[in-house]
Amino acid sequence: MAKRGVMEAKMLSQRCALVSAGVLLACSLTPCIGRADEPKPTPENTIHIQLAAPVPPQKFAKAPKFFISEVIDRSGNPQPMLVLRDRGGVFLDRQPTQIAREAIEQSLKAADLLAPDAPSADLALQIYVFHFGLAQGSGLDFFGKVEFSVMVKNPKTEESQEVQAKGTSIANAAVRKKNIQKNVQANIEGALEDAVRNLLRGAQLKEAVTSLLKNNPSASAASPGGEMAFLQGNGDNGKRSKSEVQER
Amino acid sequence: MRSLVIVLLAALVFAPGLAAKDPENVYKTVEAKHFTRVEGVELSPAFTDYLYAELRSELAKTKLFVQVISEGEAVEDADAANSVVIEGAITEYKKGNRATDAILGGYGVGARSLKLDVNLTRRSDKQDLGVVKVHVKVSPRWNEEVMAKVAAHQIAHEVKKGLKEKTKG
Repeated sequence: MAKRGVMEAKMLSQRCALVSAGVLLACSLTPCIGRADEPKPTPENTIHIQLAAPVPPQKFAKAPKFFISEVIDRSGNPQPMLVLRDRGGVFLDRQPTQIAREAIEQSLKAADLLAPDAPSADLALQIYVFHFGLAQGSGLDFFGKVEFSVMVKNPKTEESQEVQAKGTSIANAAVRKKNIQKNVQANIEGALEDAVRNLLRGAQLKEAVTSLLKNNPSASAASPGGEMAFLQGNGDNGKRSKSEVQER
Repeated sequence: MRSLVIVLLAALVFAPGLAAKDPENVYKTVEAKHFTRVEGVELSPAFTDYLYAELRSELAKTKLFVQVISEGEAVEDADAANSVVIEGAITEYKKGNRATDAILGGYGVGARSLKLDVNLTRRSDKQDLGVVKVHVKVSPRWNEEVMAKVAAHQIAHEVKKGLKEKTKG
């Protein structure tokens, strides 16, 4: 009787060992399966994003020269180049920061507002990209969103001001993979153009340029009357602005 | 005689179409702003963004405006008199009830509901061009973005109707 009990216990432990081995095997295989489903960039699923035409910036009283010092990704997205995960994925061919830089530079250059280097620039732009690509939509269409914040800085006075820009675009969803890729590309390009337009034609940039170049010696020389010379003497202005930026 | 009949028939065929044709590009620009929320409206922050994007997309479809500009975009002084600004507020949002909707959904009971007040103003002199009140009811099974899509469509339709009446009068 005791021998039979020992046999049963042995068989039970063998079964347990088999089940646990099966579970272990399944666990070890799962990440491999997950990795196989993870989309990989290929020439077929990679899209090229660029502005169809440069965005004409607004007219400034005295056209300043801008220089893009830095473009920083603040999206917190671990895969910024992957814009769509479904259907084998859709990838960008360059980093969003590079695309944003090229789009803004292209538009500034077309309007002759781009400085060739940092020392010759009236204003330096530091761009923080908060969102680039698709955002959650209704599921019936693609919702493209490009959002960035630009720190406009006067290198001479060290004053700076923040400008925000946002672009959105909505494009129809598609069934065929080729059409999905085409629509996603058009959608992100639309959102990028909208964001660049929002930045370069926005009232925020106008305000920033006006207030930052107020104390600029070159700007005061260009402006009629001696109003700027008086303002230049008021150094308090710059300090206040600097502390605001530091707080942020 | 025959030619007269042809002319008459052609007039009967084409005249209603021509009369019903909507005026195109009456206004130079339209700027849609992000809608504000009255206290107590519990919607995700992404909702306002999506509503803004959908509204711009729907306003472009009305063909009443040459350009739908983004929020805060500067407009040429010459175009300001012929430009419209759309501002609005979400005044009420009810989540709805799935169970009630499943039983009595046909009567609109248990539906998700959204109320919005929209103000239209002329850009140059801030003259009031009208107020649009929109009430959207959708199934609680649909997500917020679908509700935004329906709301944007309805707002654009009402804006078009209001502005068309304004231009006629």
